[in-house]
Amino acid sequence: MGYLINNIFRSSFDPLSVFFLAVIAVVSLPSAVYSVGYMKGRYSSGKITLGWALLILFAASMALVVTVKNAFSFIIVWELMSLVSYFLVIFDHEHERSIQAGTIYIVMTHIGTAFIITAILIIFGHAHSFDFAAMKNACLFMPSGTKNLVFVLFLAGFGTKAGIVPLHVWLPYAHPQAPSHISSIMSGVMIKTAIYALIRFAVMIVGVESTWWGEALLVVAAVSCLVGVIYALMEHDIKKLLAYHSVENIGIILLGVGASVLFIKLSMPLAAAFAMAAGLYHLINHAIFKALLFLCAGSVYSATGKRDMEKMGGLIKVMPWTAATFLVGSMAISALPPLNGFVSEWLTFQAFFMGVVSAPAGIKIFMGILAGVLALTSGLAAACFVKAFGITFLAMPRSQNAACAKESPFSMKLAMVFLAMLTVVFGLAAPLILKYLVRVSGSVLSVDTSAAGFTLNNLIIAPRGSGGIYLSPSLLALGLIVIIGMTVLAVYAVWGRRRLTTGKTWDCGYYPAICLDQGGIPPVSDRGRDKLDPRTEYTATAFSKPFRIAFDFFLLPYRKTEKIRESFYHVKSFKYELYTTPVFKEYIYQPLLRAVFKISDSLKRAQSGSIHLYIAYIFITMLALIIFMSRF
Amino acid sequence: MEYLMLILSAPLVSGVIRKIKNDLRMRRGPGVFQPYYDLAKLFAKDEVVSENASWVFTITPFVVLASCVLALLFVPMPGAANPFVYIGDLLAIIFLLALGRFFLALAGLDTGSAFGGMGSSREMFISSLVEPVIFISIFAVCASPSFRFSSVVAGIALVLAVIAETSRIPVDNQETHLELTMIHEAMVLEYSGRSLALLELAAHIKQVVFFSILANCVFPVGILPVKILIIAAMIALVEVSVAKMRLFRAVDFLSFAIVLSVAALVISAVGL
Amino acid sequence: MEIMQLLLTGILFMTFVLAISKRLGAMIGAFRAQSLFLFFTTLYLAMKGRDIEIYIVAFLLLSVKVIAIPRLLSRMVKRIKAEGAAGLFVNPTLSIFIAMFLTYLSYLFTRRIMPFADRAQGEAVIISLAVTLIGLFIMVSRMKAISQIVGLLVMENGLFLVASSVSGGMPFFVEIAIFFDIFVCVIILGMFVYKINKVFTHIDVNKMRELKG
Repeated sequence: MGYLINNIFRSSFDPLSVFFLAVIAVVSLPSAVYSVGYMKGRYSSGKITLGWALLILFAASMALVVTVKNAFSFIIVWELMSLVSYFLVIFDHEHERSIQAGTIYIVMTHIGTAFIITAILIIFGHAHSFDFAAMKNACLFMPSGTKNLVFVLFLAGFGTKAGIVPLHVWLPYAHPQAPSHISSIMSGVMIKTAIYALIRFAVMIVGVESTWWGEALLVVAAVSCLVGVIYALMEHDIKKLLAYHSVENIGIILLGVGASVLFIKLSMPLAAAFAMAAGLYHLINHAIFKALLFLCAGSVYSATGKRDMEKMGGLIKVMPWTAATFLVGSMAISALPPLNGFVSEWLTFQAFFMGVVSAPAGIKIFMGILAGVLALTSGLAAACFVKAFGITFLAMPRSQNAACAKESPFSMKLAMVFLAMLTVVFGLAAPLILKYLVRVSGSVLSVDTSAAGFTLNNLIIAPRGSGGIYLSPSLLALGLIVIIGMTVLAVYAVWGRRRLTTGKTWDCGYYPAICLDQGGIPPVSDRGRDKLDPRTEYTATAFSKPFRIAFDFFLLPYRKTEKIRESFYHVKSFKYELYTTPVFKEYIYQPLLRAVFKISDSLKRAQSGSIHLYIAYIFITMLALIIFMSRF
Repeated sequence: MEYLMLILSAPLVSGVIRKIKNDLRMRRGPGVFQPYYDLAKLFAKDEVVSENASWVFTITPFVVLASCVLALLFVPMPGAANPFVYIGDLLAIIFLLALGRFFLALAGLDTGSAFGGMGSSREMFISSLVEPVIFISIFAVCASPSFRFSSVVAGIALVLAVIAETSRIPVDNQETHLELTMIHEAMVLEYSGRSLALLELAAHIKQVVFFSILANCVFPVGILPVKILIIAAMIALVEVSVAKMRLFRAVDFLSFAIVLSVAALVISAVGL
Repeated sequence: MEIMQLLLTGILFMTFVLAISKRLGAMIGAFRAQSLFLFFTTLYLAMKGRDIEIYIVAFLLLSVKVIAIPRLLSRMVKRIKAEGAAGLFVNPTLSIFIAMFLTYLSYLFTRRIMPFADRAQGEAVIISLAVTLIGLFIMVSRMKAISQIVGLLVMENGLFLVASSVSGGMPFFVEIAIFFDIFVCVIILGMFVYKINKVFTHIDVNKMRELKG
């Protein structure tokens, strides 16, 4: 046992590990508090115990993933993390969908692990040791072709866990299906461990070999951003929407990391450290606000029993706390000042700007376009969260469940408010955090960052030293508050108190149908209503229509209409359904799956079902081995 | 002080544009100070608020106004020493305006009116396509040390973006009140009285923000008021000479702007 | 030295008997005899090495493999009325030839992998390897489920032999654990056999291929 602890599970606490431990703690603790209220009444007491055990095991395995310093034990704890999360995904196993989601997840994650193990074994072949330090030394003498191969394997392997496009298919199924506090940990932290592993193995152990590594990372990241956010826009299941945003945000994080990898090879070490810090900053920010959003979504789910946004609405009046915290989370994820998402996206833009200013011409254009992609992404994300918040919480309730929803218990509110406050703190205290993160990224890239002043003082960020670009989120927030206060005061001083009349929303003079009935038109059950009702509200589907049309080359929308007739002339009701084609599923995974089934069908012949035959296989293999050994 | 002047003269710019448009169309139209009268009238009026609205609806005018004013403070002014540059830069302006837009779009949805929802949806749609244009053109401009050919191309791209952002023809039409064609107006449809006044003021300021970015960053010669007036005249000319596009033609319009901004970037990277 | 050879020959002989025995009762008897020889071998090694641990292991072997497991197996046979033919795929004549061939193979193999071992050790390894292979062969060539259990136990005996003769036995705890393991394994397999018998009214594993999906 002592041997095991000393040699296999020896932990390292270098700055990168400590940073990730902090990320894990920051999300896991509120989620645990939240689960007290969330699981109560929903599950039996035995299941709650099981939930706690799995939760603790999950957090512990993630902590081990980011601290072990031995590749062998890394694989063990990595698999442990995957397995525990699989069990958490199928926690509600009475739903058919959970099992299905779990299966997709476990298959994808194991494909990823296969890549990771292959890559680690290749390095082991050179290093003859699983120890990180020894592997690092061995990699100095590895041929560049092998390094490239190892990088691709790591990218595919960890990319599966991180959910980069096109390996993201499992994510929108698995994350929403888990209980909400687990979704928050999975989306907030688990996918980030893949980023950790990518930095640890590809950047720190193998070492960046050529510029195309960074370029590949950036392209993958940009595609993930766009695909994630476009799919999120089309999604009306609130938790699925959040899951797609995880794909998008992983893309943004990778934009920072990729830019850093590229800068390293362009011998711009300070820019590299800055870009890495930006990526890590977005990482912890995303952990915080995504966890917050998932917790809020869980709160909505337990209040209404639904996840479809089209069935909600008006919740801001019955669930004020959830609504307010969700609004904070939405603002953060839409990169609105002065919250944390804004700071990290601004930093990422500045990292690109450094590239645009001082990199070679080709890279300049590349970086500029990436900045455009990031801008488009954040614009679309803002649109998506206007939809998510507006349709879910504002206006009139769209269903009975939404109308009689109740605010969540104290423990859930506590967790949400805590995370919402962290969102604000991480925005306002940006210069301090940036200082710390630059140290972390300096240690990752072994760059001396003590000379680089990316901050002017504790209030102001200055990416280019004193070169003219500054940002101070705290002063910005102060400015906003002061201006709002001054406006309110000025308006009161000049025009006095606000005189308010409450009226109905304007309805184009759409009078009650009763008036029409008097004109001899027979009443139809749907008509006798009074003016505007929830059915006339703008829906999530309608909200996303412009985007659906603009991106139709990618989404390939199609519709199904069906008339339910009473007789030939009288159409009783009309069914209209709108779908978008899941491009990756349709054109990559389905053909792949079909091929696999075909191969396994032909392999089935070997599976006769006879035990003797199976033992005979073993027997023959053994004989063959013995004969082989005695020959050579 | 300069900034206070800018804020106070913001409605004037709108008035001037309106006046030029009317003159070009051979109409008489109101004087250039009409926007001030409108604001004064609105501020003095009572408000009607929908029964469905929540506190989001109430705070939105203030947030929108504050974000626009703060954004104006960040606009770099050549010559003048500006303490506000330490708080935020050009990119922060875009994020700030996004803050205002976010709340405005939420307020559009808040009343439960289909028009508001439609306006929010379209506004977010157009702005998300405009953002890349602004970012890429700013990068292209800042990447070149002085005023060059690439700055001109970036400037044209920015003009297209500004047209879309300030809800001008051919993307949006400030004068229409036909529900199906409105974008910005549809979002603020439910607002009245004082809140509406604040929002209108914010819209005027936002326009000045964009004009001064265009004036100071892209064409760094000449004095600001003159440049703003030239830009205003240019926008007015565009407005009277083209027809409003259908919403989905606006996609083509904006993708053209994106292509143009990328072209500016390429040109500046090549070194022209 | 002579005694050791004698004992090893006994083990091999009993394995051959196992390979050709047709009836379940005979198989169990042969297995008991084989385990008894194994016990004497271990006892001999223990006396030579004067090691208390090996004594314990030897008596454990006696109690588990010579007494407990065969009794359990014959009880099982009686309970499910599976007396009679063990159901051979390969007739006894061919079986003995195969067994001999396997022994020859293990002889070749051993000479190949450990050419410098002393004669006594070499013989022990050859025989234990042959026992293991024949155990596997037994598992392949019989129909009734109980013979699969016996085959597994024969293989285990072979492994035990190689461990104790080459390196003076495995670590004590491992040895104990393996005995426990085997015992539990037999019990579990026995329960499976009961269950199979109950569900299918026979224990002919050959007929279980209908279960295939």
